[in-house]
Amino acid sequence: MIKVKQLCKAFDGLQVLKNISMEINKSEVVVLIGASGSGKSTLLRCLNFLEIKDSGEIEISGQVIDTKKTNLNKVREDMGMVFQHFNLFPHMTVLANVIEAPIHIKKKSKQTAIDQAMDILQKVGLADKAHHYPEQLSGGQKQRVAIARALAMEPAVMLFDEPTSALDPELVGEVLETMKNLAREGMTMVIVTHEMGFAREVADRVIMLADGNIIEDGHPSVFFTDPKEERTRRFLQQVL
Amino acid sequence: MNSITSMISIFQTHGFEFLKATLTTVQLTAVSLLIAMIIGLVFAFFKVSNIFVLEKLADTYIFLVRGMPLIVQLMFLYYGISSVFVLSDFTAGAIALGIHSGAYIAEIFRGAIQSIDRGQMEAARSLGMPYSLSMRRIILPQAFKRAVPSLGNQFIIGLKDSSLVAYIAVTELFNHALSAQAENYMPFETYFVVGIYYLILVLIFTLIFNRIEARLDVSKGRKRRGGKRFDQGKTAVQSV
Repeated sequence: MIKVKQLCKAFDGLQVLKNISMEINKSEVVVLIGASGSGKSTLLRCLNFLEIKDSGEIEISGQVIDTKKTNLNKVREDMGMVFQHFNLFPHMTVLANVIEAPIHIKKKSKQTAIDQAMDILQKVGLADKAHHYPEQLSGGQKQRVAIARALAMEPAVMLFDEPTSALDPELVGEVLETMKNLAREGMTMVIVTHEMGFAREVADRVIMLADGNIIEDGHPSVFFTDPKEERTRRFLQQVL
Repeated sequence: MNSITSMISIFQTHGFEFLKATLTTVQLTAVSLLIAMIIGLVFAFFKVSNIFVLEKLADTYIFLVRGMPLIVQLMFLYYGISSVFVLSDFTAGAIALGIHSGAYIAEIFRGAIQSIDRGQMEAARSLGMPYSLSMRRIILPQAFKRAVPSLGNQFIIGLKDSSLVAYIAVTELFNHALSAQAENYMPFETYFVVGIYYLILVLIFTLIFNRIEARLDVSKGRKRRGGKRFDQGKTAVQSV
């Protein structure tokens, strides 16, 4: 589904990603962990070209993406992204947020888009909030709307950039629950998170980044109980 | 006491003529600000375009307009424009004023666009929306709302600045004041009366803008609906 080869990315001379290679298969749930500054968010953002790689190769659904020639908008249509700070459109109702891209990008009729949006909102448990504005929602609800908005484009992959980091602790559960349901349905997911309990329970693979390198990549049952690398061990001790 | 009776007599003799001239002032202001809004929006886009040539073009325009007194520009543009095109004094004046206000409005729009959180553009792009569509549907509606208070201010400045076209023979309000005081030898009283006309005009402008601000609910992110925003907002959150 996604293949990354020797990906490098620097910001102002600071090498954030150093020769990252990895592969994500269809229906796989991959959790990226690592200390802040390890490059995990940058890696995620490179996958849908919100950051443009310096070198290396990214292949998505069998197509090698040339950032200059490929239509990146088309690539992004197929990849949902959920942000730490939700980034809902504040001037639109919940429903309008969700139908915006399907109507303007997929050229769906308004009624089709609304019907579909209501189904998705039902799924994330927010159908009754369809006509509210984002500012009237709690953080957890906002994030679930953001997930619904991304799902409305029927993406093949969902990317999550610390989706629960900006939430009050009591609101984290509802967002993770929504993500678990998605995983159960077979959605391919790449998740940057600090929620180790979630990673252990839901992930098919956990990837540990440190200083822009992948230092460990394994199934959570092995990763959390018997990590190979000393740095992983130390990191896990700190966060668990 | 003497002055007051003179003012009343000036009002009696010139009052109606001033009122007609006020209409010209309003038309001149409206046309010039319309031109200024269009110019302002275009140059604001240039400034946020990240395209070197366009940015420099916008910088140069803004530098030239901000760097010279309006009266110099008016004379320069008036004689410049009317030596190339056959235009009425009114049209030439309106264009010159529009070019002047456009620079300030460009800066207002640029500031408003840049004040919108980066996450908004990223969210739109991540849904597959192209840059121009994201700008039009997501950034501009929010930016415009934020620009309204500053625009109101700039419109009032534009209204008062229109008085300077009196010197290029446009018979608007101040032009009438100039000729009236040349006839009656009562400059103090005449300008006082004209000053009141301007004050009333500005007052009307202010009231209109206050209405627009309240309607758009500028302090918040979204359109006000039915004037019960706070109540609605509270019950919505409480009902969770």
